[in-house]
Amino acid sequence: MATMVDLNLITDLQKFGAPDVNACYSCGNCTAICPLADNDATFPRRFIRLAQVGLTDELVTSKELWTCYQCGMCTSRCPQEADPAEFMATARRFAIAKLDKTGIARALSTKPVLGSVIVIAAMLFFALFFASVREQETRARLAFFDFIPYHWIHLVGLILMGVVALFAVINLVFMIRGIAKRDQVSAKSLFGSKAAWGRTFRALWYSIGVESLGQKRFREDCADDEPAEPLYRRRWLIHFLTLWGFIGLFVATTLNYVLDMAGVKPTGTAVPLWYPIRLLGTVAGLALMYGVSWFMINRRQQVSSAAKHSSPADWLFLWLLMLTGLTGFVIEVALYLPGPQIWAYWVFLVHVAIAMELVLFLPFTKFAHVMYRPVSLFFYGLAKDEHRELQPV
Amino acid sequence: MSKDAAAKPDKPAPEDRRIGVFICHCGGNISDYVDVNAVREALADEPGVVVSETTVFACSDGTQHDMIDAIRAEKLDGLVVASCSPKLHQVTFRNVASRADLNPYTYTQVNVREQASWAHPHDKAGATEKVIGLVRAGVAKSRLSDPLQALRVQTLPRTLVIGGGIAGLRAAIGLAEIGIEAILVERSDHLGGWVGGFGAMFPNDDSGRDQVASLVEQITQRRDITVYTNAEVTGKAGSFGNYEMEVTLHREGSDKTLQVDVGAIIVATGFDSYDPASGEYGYGMDGVVTLPQFKELVDSSAAGELSYQGRPVRSLAYIYCVGSRQRGGNEHCSKYCCTSAIHTSLLVNNLDPAIRQFHVYRDVRAYGKYELLYNESREGGSTYLKFDADTPPEVAKLDSGALGVTVTDLLTQSQEVTLPVDLVVLVTGMVPRENTSLVELLKVPVGTDGFFNEIHPKLRPVETVVDGLLIAGCCQSPRTVGESVSAGLAAVAQSAALLKKGYADLDPLVARIDPDKCISSGECLTVCPYGSITSIEWDGRMAASIDPATCKGCGGCVPVCGSDAIELLGYTDEQMLAAIEEMVITEVPDKEPVA
Repeated sequence: MATMVDLNLITDLQKFGAPDVNACYSCGNCTAICPLADNDATFPRRFIRLAQVGLTDELVTSKELWTCYQCGMCTSRCPQEADPAEFMATARRFAIAKLDKTGIARALSTKPVLGSVIVIAAMLFFALFFASVREQETRARLAFFDFIPYHWIHLVGLILMGVVALFAVINLVFMIRGIAKRDQVSAKSLFGSKAAWGRTFRALWYSIGVESLGQKRFREDCADDEPAEPLYRRRWLIHFLTLWGFIGLFVATTLNYVLDMAGVKPTGTAVPLWYPIRLLGTVAGLALMYGVSWFMINRRQQVSSAAKHSSPADWLFLWLLMLTGLTGFVIEVALYLPGPQIWAYWVFLVHVAIAMELVLFLPFTKFAHVMYRPVSLFFYGLAKDEHRELQPV
Repeated sequence: MSKDAAAKPDKPAPEDRRIGVFICHCGGNISDYVDVNAVREALADEPGVVVSETTVFACSDGTQHDMIDAIRAEKLDGLVVASCSPKLHQVTFRNVASRADLNPYTYTQVNVREQASWAHPHDKAGATEKVIGLVRAGVAKSRLSDPLQALRVQTLPRTLVIGGGIAGLRAAIGLAEIGIEAILVERSDHLGGWVGGFGAMFPNDDSGRDQVASLVEQITQRRDITVYTNAEVTGKAGSFGNYEMEVTLHREGSDKTLQVDVGAIIVATGFDSYDPASGEYGYGMDGVVTLPQFKELVDSSAAGELSYQGRPVRSLAYIYCVGSRQRGGNEHCSKYCCTSAIHTSLLVNNLDPAIRQFHVYRDVRAYGKYELLYNESREGGSTYLKFDADTPPEVAKLDSGALGVTVTDLLTQSQEVTLPVDLVVLVTGMVPRENTSLVELLKVPVGTDGFFNEIHPKLRPVETVVDGLLIAGCCQSPRTVGESVSAGLAAVAQSAALLKKGYADLDPLVARIDPDKCISSGECLTVCPYGSITSIEWDGRMAASIDPATCKGCGGCVPVCGSDAIELLGYTDEQMLAAIEEMVITEVPDKEPVA
């Protein structure tokens, strides 16, 4: 069955900042040099070709788009200066926007004015909402949850997570259907037999454990022999710290909630800095801010091809993370400063508002990679597994 | 021409001839398989042979000089070289004879390489005996040779150019500039041909119309170029140097004929654009056009306003190789069309860069500098999709009203994709123009592909086997404007080479009829492929006569003559019988079984 060509794909991609895809003459140097491309995932050449011809669905619902970590070797070897690495990054922005049916992601990426309005409006909404439900500013000591009752925070947080989960499911279904059809993966081939279950679990472990949490290929393969950055600011390391910092904060928050539910430690109880959950939160917050800071510095200094072009969407995600981390850190400092620092209540309000926005915008910003990458890597793991069985070592 | 009868009294008896025989080693090609010394010794005693030598390379400069010295020192009156095929070196050694003041037609080349050493590498004794026989036969032929003289004809400094396209127009001006009067005959009512109908053309965007107009302007200002439009060449008589051509002028009400006398003829009748069959890639459907039709549309469109039948064109697909590189007919590549389509897409880009253009091609043959146009179009947003000859694209109407070009694109993992476009352009090739009456009249050699044939594609690219009949432009093969004009000018140079001396020497190796023997049976009249034989009155009766200026010496008439009245000079019956006799009396050794 012939696929209908989308005549507007190239012009649409250009709105997301695509480099000159017409420069590409399909030589394939990029795919040959790519340390991550193999028989189970061939890119970037094929994806530039999809853009040139106008095969939107294949471009948007593909695992290869998310198998790339943008080391930039392809761009440095491209004889036509078509910048394949930047193209892949653009295509990911495009895919986030295309998979999102609300149009918010598209606006954030392509309409600076409307995008800014949305970002600021959402932030103001959360800030005003929490300001309207605030109670008293306890003067004796900093009691944040007397200021904004924690049940409001939990309630809004849970609603937001529900909304985000709903969006995530819809978007992922589109994506998974596309990949599964092309890779000929069916429910039966995933769960039809014991062997199938085995394959599925191995692919899951590979996707979540080895790659997403362990960053094996990002760390080991996705780099030139001579990386542009020194180790302390190398991309895999700062991403690793950002990721684990975020997870640490999430775990600390969740534990707080669990302990509160269990009645062990009501939320808002003053604890010393060495209290395990507080310690975890502090260390994780520092790791997150360390990573995000370097991401921002790298982008500012354009140290590598991955940091060379920065779209508003790139900065938005970094700033949301940065502001969430920074305000959180300031609150913590305020807690341990002598005397009650009354101004910290308002910092807390800002912190909560931005954190809510960060969560709400997950499907619309670069944050969406946390759902698309593991899914793509799962299918990549499946393909790899299948071929390993074909070729016994 | 020398009269045989007049030459005969001076001619020594065959056994008194002074013939030199040179046997070539060909650096081992011959001497490794033939005992050349045995051949030399065998020939040394032949009657009439005064020099018999072997040589490592007969064709080398040094040996040629040695031969000239030997011809002079021994006062040779005949020369035989036993070496390779006459196709390779007959002219070489004829020239050696000429340089030593020996009549070149007393030279005989004996092919002992292709016909002996290469044919019998496992039988040295047999090959040697065969060579001895062949060389003896050659000597016998040279012994009876006559010192023939080239036929000199006077030539008119005037050339007829048939076809008023760009090649013919430029050739006419070139002829005039070189001092040869040009007569230009054009069948249609206007000059310019295909090029005259086009706007900007590759490679430099010059307008075809403007270029033709400037050539026509130059022509009208010259008195040494005569132009006839609405005219056809309808008759031909005479021979090279003195053709008498009949030109029919189609004038209102009646036709007028006139005779023009010319020395040479340049045929530049051009091509036809391939006319797709109904349904071929959707041809006949609304919105499916050929490249020339589309070019006309683009030429007449203003910026930002490309529309077809009132509908704006926002997207289009070019399908390449339509009418070219097809199996079973039009197998040739039309050569110009890739570049032309690419250039046209650049023009479309200039009209409106937002128009989406797809090139559905088999191979892009934008050769040489035209590659840069290809790059430009690609970088300008044209998308190229490659199909295999076995899975050609299909054109159909889509539900949306657009045309759908479905192609299996080899550059996208052989995926089948459908391009929804407003217009489909069939990149049609060049096919030979239908010109039967002219071909029959001029006897232009036509190839199996329908295009006219030159003598040699590299060394004699504009000459045909008919003396003084030159070809140029796309009647010969598909080509670009620049290449057509180059060919036209090459034909001008060749015209000058033929006509500027005022005379031409023709090969005297032609057939001749002895009118006394001719019984006027008429047999030979019908076999001559060149129309050189006519019936004339001789001594009060009819006899056949051969025009030596048009006879090519093929010998076709010799065997059909029942009364042995025809001789082929240089290959007379006497010579050939003597040669055969020599081979018959040469002893053939018992064959050794081949190991």
